[in-house]
Amino acid sequence: MTENRTHPMPVEPFEEHSSSPTLSQILAPASTGVRRHTGRLTRRPWFRADRSVWSTDCSRWPPSRAEQPATTTPWWLAHRRAHRFGHGDQAHSDDGSGTDGVLAAVRERASEVHDRLSHQHDVFVVEFVGSTGGGKTALAERLLDRWDGRVGVICGDVAGEDDARRYREHGVPVVNVTTGRECHLDPQRVDDALDALSLDDLDTLVIENVGNMVCPADFPLGATVRVLVVSPTEGDDVVRKHPLLFQSVDAAVVNKVDIADAVGADTDRMVADAAEVAPDLPVFRTSVETGRGIEDLAGMLHTRRAHDPHSV
Amino acid sequence: MHELSIAHRLVDRAVETARDADADQIDRLSVALGEATHVAADQLRFCLDAAVADTLADGAAIDIVRVPPAGQCGCGWSGEPRRLDATIAAPDRRCPECGERIELTAGDDCRLTQIETS
Repeated sequence: MTENRTHPMPVEPFEEHSSSPTLSQILAPASTGVRRHTGRLTRRPWFRADRSVWSTDCSRWPPSRAEQPATTTPWWLAHRRAHRFGHGDQAHSDDGSGTDGVLAAVRERASEVHDRLSHQHDVFVVEFVGSTGGGKTALAERLLDRWDGRVGVICGDVAGEDDARRYREHGVPVVNVTTGRECHLDPQRVDDALDALSLDDLDTLVIENVGNMVCPADFPLGATVRVLVVSPTEGDDVVRKHPLLFQSVDAAVVNKVDIADAVGADTDRMVADAAEVAPDLPVFRTSVETGRGIEDLAGMLHTRRAHDPHSV
Repeated sequence: MHELSIAHRLVDRAVETARDADADQIDRLSVALGEATHVAADQLRFCLDAAVADTLADGAAIDIVRVPPAGQCGCGWSGEPRRLDATIAAPDRRCPECGERIELTAGDDCRLTQIETS
């Protein structure tokens, strides 16, 4: 009988990270051999600038200079930093987190897409995620109209050209990704789709994910800002039903607020639930029909772009 | 919904490790599955059973250990976060000490922890 052996999976060496970097460290230009994503932000200054600014109506928009974010950090990049620089303790070796799991590999792939877009081509990337019929496409269309030229779109759907056709009517380059069976876009599909775009001719890329509130939570795509769009027709308990997705995004939109009364939905509840599920998440109430909130959403993205050290 | 692609990745990793160790057969795969993911343990097991077919891991026993979320906060707190009411596993991302948003340090991945070969 042959010998029976066990093979523990190798674990990345860990090294305790120091406390959060100072502002000057964050903003310092890259030193040799190190990307500009240095330091490890345990806080998200963007969301903490002033909670009231982002809470519901953005009545204090725009924030004063002092309140604006110094920098921002997509959540999945925190994992990458962990991979690059190490953090945590040996308990990671068997706790399902750490740096070498399957989902960590997806995040790593997303960060490569982010590198390609944001660092190599200075493209600002906004991803819209949310259920079918929430108004992702309509919202993105309104934003396209505000952004003069140099915008590209990647739109994902299980089947069909419907969204792509709508985007093309705005005269922008569109790559339609039909996933066939998959319920979400993944970083590899986005990377492949990028080959069809002339990235040097773009300032902004809109990625519209497949209408789905489950799987995208585990599959970041490498966007600079990920925006979750929900609407009253999904029920005003939709936030509580999808906590992990809310925790995976950088901003949330309660769209179609103009029809909330007609469908008996309490948008206050949706906004309050979002604050509970994903603390400090900026939430916008919008209506594509009336135009409410579009300005605020566009303003947030504009500010975010201005403060993204990689796409100016 | 994406358990099958995850299962294939896990099996690929197991086979790679077994080959590196010159093993002929994988008898057992141990997987740590974070609870703060949308990967369902039952479906993952089903998909792993399918994914091991015709590989070195064909017929291997499969252990899946659920990993609860752990987090840390800028205020210095670390530990297992509370759960949101009425949800299956989603962590409450508010720090129990200071109320600020915590970062997850565990429970949000799915990884192969060990294989047994012969």
